[in-house]
Amino acid sequence: MDFEFNDDQLSLRDAVARWVDKGFGFERRHAIAKQGGHTREVYRELAELGLTGLAVSEAHGGMGFGAIEAMVVMEELGRGLVNAPYASAALVAPCVLAKASAEVQSAWLPRIASGEALVVLAHQERAARYRLNQVATSAQRAAGQWQLSGHKSVVPAADEADAFIVPARTSGHGDDAHGIGLFLVEKGAAGTHIQGYATQDGARAGELKLAGTPATLIEEDALPTLEQAGDVGIAAACAEGVGVMDKLVALTVEYMNTRKQFGTTLATFQALRHRMADVKMQLELGRSMSYFASLKLGESAAARRRALSQAKVQLGHSMRFVGQQCTQLHGGIGVTDEYIGSHYFKRLTMLEMTFGDTLHHLGEVSARMTDTTGVFA
Amino acid sequence: MDLNFTAEELAFRHDVRQWVADNLPKDISHKVHHALRLSRDDMQRWAKILGKKGWLASGWPKAFGGPGWSAVQKHLFEEECARAGSPRIVPFGPVMVAPVIMTFGTPEQQQRFLPGIASGEVWWSQGYSEPGAGSDLASLKTRAERRGDKYIVNGQKTWTTLAQFGEWIFCLVRTSTEGKPQTGISFLLIDMKSPGITVRPITMLDGEPEVNEVFFDSVEVPAENLIGEENKGWTYAKHLLAHERTNIADVNRAKREIERLKRIAKAEGVYDEARFRDQIALLEVDIVALEMLVLRVLSAEKSGKQSLDIAGLLKIKGSEIQQRYSELMMLAAGPFTQPYVREAMEAGWQGDWFARFGICAPLAGNYFNFRKTTIYGGSNEVQRNIVAQTVLG
Repeated sequence: MDFEFNDDQLSLRDAVARWVDKGFGFERRHAIAKQGGHTREVYRELAELGLTGLAVSEAHGGMGFGAIEAMVVMEELGRGLVNAPYASAALVAPCVLAKASAEVQSAWLPRIASGEALVVLAHQERAARYRLNQVATSAQRAAGQWQLSGHKSVVPAADEADAFIVPARTSGHGDDAHGIGLFLVEKGAAGTHIQGYATQDGARAGELKLAGTPATLIEEDALPTLEQAGDVGIAAACAEGVGVMDKLVALTVEYMNTRKQFGTTLATFQALRHRMADVKMQLELGRSMSYFASLKLGESAAARRRALSQAKVQLGHSMRFVGQQCTQLHGGIGVTDEYIGSHYFKRLTMLEMTFGDTLHHLGEVSARMTDTTGVFA
Repeated sequence: MDLNFTAEELAFRHDVRQWVADNLPKDISHKVHHALRLSRDDMQRWAKILGKKGWLASGWPKAFGGPGWSAVQKHLFEEECARAGSPRIVPFGPVMVAPVIMTFGTPEQQQRFLPGIASGEVWWSQGYSEPGAGSDLASLKTRAERRGDKYIVNGQKTWTTLAQFGEWIFCLVRTSTEGKPQTGISFLLIDMKSPGITVRPITMLDGEPEVNEVFFDSVEVPAENLIGEENKGWTYAKHLLAHERTNIADVNRAKREIERLKRIAKAEGVYDEARFRDQIALLEVDIVALEMLVLRVLSAEKSGKQSLDIAGLLKIKGSEIQQRYSELMMLAAGPFTQPYVREAMEAGWQGDWFARFGICAPLAGNYFNFRKTTIYGGSNEVQRNIVAQTVLG
């Protein structure tokens, strides 16, 4: 039992933090957000740092790092409010593609590791909310070729991506656990229609429509893989949330020690001090459960899914509380577009709804409850 | 980063589990698992069993006769005890006053007092709070005047937990009114059989006399019972408060109690009711998060790093969780917590009534009793002041 980071992890953290300090200031981010949230350029810079190969095996040109390294990077990207689709492209996609044939892996993983290819998970559907097994998009095989039809929503960086990982039904319907395949769809494939848009938090997403679109099978009957990928996404969202909260709390502390009203700094008022104590509580419970999420990613499916849902419930509460209260503690400036803090709040808000919101995961925790409770239960 | 305990730690846990299973009297664990009333004898019987094994002094270094366990071993020991349904160790002797005696006491004081604490023979109480000094403890007024080789103590302590059983009491007393309130306080060990001491139980809202008023009327205390230097008592008391941090979260007991909550919810038919079950699920998340917080503090201690600034959070969250599970247990039983039958709190009581409502008997009382958790040990509002200080300066 040890929560210290090793030297490699610390230098990884340093490398990301230094890049953020030097190359990703608020003005640059703000300008990107105002122009629609296109971040391919930013993603290239992350690739130059070697970060896009983090979760790709060494055999495919990556670093083959694990969950803790991913967590460290996500925390720092959160702290810097980096609006690139890193989690989806560099962490979730390699997790899925590791299940693909050797041929598909060789074709894509080296290019993902180098940052040349941006591959994102396109799993959300309008009627599914957060249920990964609720898939309407269909996959049909004709003359040895899979073809997909359906509509995936709020796909990260949709109009900048080179390929999409798409869950689609090869059999069954509605929320059947079986019959969900995972497919790779390339940009520009016949029958695709992509509509990109900016997101609330200054990033980019889009709609992906598929009509008889040719696709490469990654894995049949792949719900377990999709769930695992979702859990990688949850751990990433948790870690990013911790970084975002860390920075927002630091901004708020600085503001409270500077801003004066009634002749004294805000930091002297007990009502506000107690609020900050509560904020600190939520931050540290969140950090604890973010560690928990990443540390549990390698467990058996049942233990992993229960743990990741528990983590997302805590982070959901933490992110909402910290976001709302830090905004409140800033007063008027906290609700302006020009102030950096409000953008941290917006990111926290969107992270709560990434890979399942608090109520969804509370339902999961409730459904998966056993007689025992605890970190090792 | 690694969540798992080492092989040695797991072997240690295994040994403790086995020993507790073999040595914890079943009649006592039955009471703990059902939240029935524990007598003085129950508590002291277990303390003496632990004392004989050398484990009552679980946090003590070897030099003073403790097992010299690491923070992690101590945590695992507490976890195993809680899990098996052992009573909480009454902390005033082994956990609270002993470290102060070890750090600031003379060799004579150490030889005189520590063996009786380690063996569980001597029951200690804590004389801190006064009618006029609660959260603002430094404003305490109980006077100790030096006359020759004695102190003459006059005043009153209150909220003194289980002082009706106490044989010795460690007190913060005022020896000077000069300067800041904190600088005139001394740390005194007092024999409760001394003439002039009156203990009056206070019946609490659950109907139980858990705490007391302790009156001092010209009580003579030998000067050799002063710990350290006169007027330095506040420093020693702060040392005491800093000494126990992870223990106060009581996460191990919470893990046992949520299991009891689930059993009660099943028995009362609300476990499968989504609205109720979700509340248990929320509590479960809280408990896992608190356990992770505790493990982080332990890990920091293990690696010898300066303690994280999160230790202050443990008391707040731990006490809120205690209140929450007691609340949910009561709500699970609903109207059947209404009957107030004191005998039903005793083990083995078998009225007709018990067969129907037995599981519900202690629940409302526990809930009422647990309102104390956010008040004692420095109210949670005081804790928030401390946390805010670490965050905002």
